[in-house]
Amino acid sequence: MLPPLIIETKDLSKVYGEQRALDGVNLQVAPGAIGLLGPNGAGKSTFMKCLLQLHPITSGSARLLGREVGREGREIRKRVGYTPEQDCHIPGMVGCEYATYCAQLSGLPFQAARQRAHEMLDFVGMGQERYRKIDTYSTGMKQRLKLAQAIVHDPEIVFLDEPTNGLDPRGQAQILELIQSLWRKYGITVVLSSHLLQDVDSICDQIIIIARGKVLVHDTLENLKARRRGAAEVVVAERHQELQAACGQEGWACELLPNGHLKVEHKCDSLNPLLKVLDRLKLAPLEIMPSPNALEETFVQALELSHAAA
Amino acid sequence: MPLHDISYQHWDGSHLGIWRRRLVIARAGVAACLQIRGMRHMVVMCWFAALLMATLLFLVGQLLVADSVVVLWAGNLNPQLQTFVRLLTTWLEQHPEISVRTTQNILFHYFGIYLLPISIFALGTAIPLLVTRDLASNAIIIYSSKALNRGDYLLGKFSTAFGLLSLTWLGPVCAAWFAGNLVAPDWRFFWHSRAALGHTLVFGLATLVVLSLLALGVSSLSSKEKSTPVFWYLWWILGGVVAPIAAHTQPWLRHVSFNYNLDQLALAIFRPAEDIRIAQENIPLLGDMLKNIPAETLAALSAPPLIGASIGLGLMLLLAVTIVNRKVKPE
Repeated sequence: MLPPLIIETKDLSKVYGEQRALDGVNLQVAPGAIGLLGPNGAGKSTFMKCLLQLHPITSGSARLLGREVGREGREIRKRVGYTPEQDCHIPGMVGCEYATYCAQLSGLPFQAARQRAHEMLDFVGMGQERYRKIDTYSTGMKQRLKLAQAIVHDPEIVFLDEPTNGLDPRGQAQILELIQSLWRKYGITVVLSSHLLQDVDSICDQIIIIARGKVLVHDTLENLKARRRGAAEVVVAERHQELQAACGQEGWACELLPNGHLKVEHKCDSLNPLLKVLDRLKLAPLEIMPSPNALEETFVQALELSHAAA
Repeated sequence: MPLHDISYQHWDGSHLGIWRRRLVIARAGVAACLQIRGMRHMVVMCWFAALLMATLLFLVGQLLVADSVVVLWAGNLNPQLQTFVRLLTTWLEQHPEISVRTTQNILFHYFGIYLLPISIFALGTAIPLLVTRDLASNAIIIYSSKALNRGDYLLGKFSTAFGLLSLTWLGPVCAAWFAGNLVAPDWRFFWHSRAALGHTLVFGLATLVVLSLLALGVSSLSSKEKSTPVFWYLWWILGGVVAPIAAHTQPWLRHVSFNYNLDQLALAIFRPAEDIRIAQENIPLLGDMLKNIPAETLAALSAPPLIGASIGLGLMLLLAVTIVNRKVKPE
């Protein structure tokens, strides 16, 4: 049996004055970790805000969690979490007070709200700083708090708009790890909007690419990678030229990348032919990365097609 | 150890209704206002005034019954004064519906009017905490992403202002009425003073709604926390300066002052001039003394036609609602 659809849109459009931010978006999205990709100004945030009813829809229709967006806003948002891109804290409040307040706004009674707030602050890795005023927080703490307020009421789906913005690499990795666990461990659907491909690549299993207000690609990451299965990146410690020559004999394009890796376009569904070549050369690879940059290439290709069509 | 080892727990309790969620906003707003030390002082001052009013009502109540503590004390002070008070109280005892009603109606009219400026000042202090701060910090988007809509948010913020005014004005006034009559010599005082309470509630609720909406409008004018209280105080002070000057030149201009319009509303509801006339005509001795009140003063206390004040307040409320509607959006 197919899983129930979590997001459904039909000819969804949003117009700001002369600008068409969303242009007839048709989507049917199943639960999972969904990556929303697109260049800046593509319409990713607008798409999320229309679903959350923060912006009214100009035309078309949308359903979130099986309910009609625009008619059942409160009921939908009771089951949805959201972290906006920009800072949105209430000045003067301390962290745990803020998380408790957000839980209460979502309808949790005070005792439950306070307990959940502390649990979620533990979950996002906030320690004693939860008792400090938010105004004194670093960017990383604010991002963690934003995530905590989005999940404090135990939503079924959580929309995250650029959640790793302004974080150092370690902070980014920690936040991404938390986000990944939401779907994989706890079954909360995640919609991650980002322009950072590696963020989406590392945690999402479905990809939606939006540009100029239109959906260019909607598929699983697995399928997208399968489309680019005929390429691999090989890391070898020595004999690069020998491997390049052997690939050339097979009729495969082989390029030495600036990082010392060899990119091989073997055009096969599996890595077996490439492994045979390596075996024949008695060359032990340090690492083989199948379909490297599949997402990036798909993304660039989709954008190029979109520009050409425009 | 990975951070998410502290596992996530699902929650399956029942959600609070929408009115409880609105109340959460109002309660948090009032709590934030009370964190300001000056605000706490003002609240204490208002309740202290209520205590004084209750004491005054106790003394007045004692004057209205024979052989009360005050009458005995007056006798100790001056036997002639005691005779005078005895004569007065004998009559008053026979007509409590006039004496209690009249006295308390006049007292509560003035108490309400004189306590109001403290509340208007307190509201000015609270104005940045209503909408201004949320506009500055983008917090409105957080409210809008929860199980609330813009109307719920605004209702919550309106209730914050309403709650604060209840704490500094309506609460103390009603408490003074209750405490004053509780210590009165006769339980019937509660019944005979019902008009004073009724007028206070009608005027109080109308004033609270008007001031709360105006405060919401001013609070939405800007996202700068220092600007919005200045707008509020300027409007209040300029209105207070303009109204008396305009009385001699352009009388309609008086209605730019919300305070003037509210004073007119109070006169129309409490009608103190009528009570003074009743006292003049019916209460011996004291009535004769009240006849010395100049005719102009009595005319100024007469119920005015409310059309000007209604239009003035109506336009102000329309302006406030328009500002809120234009400025307070999820983004």
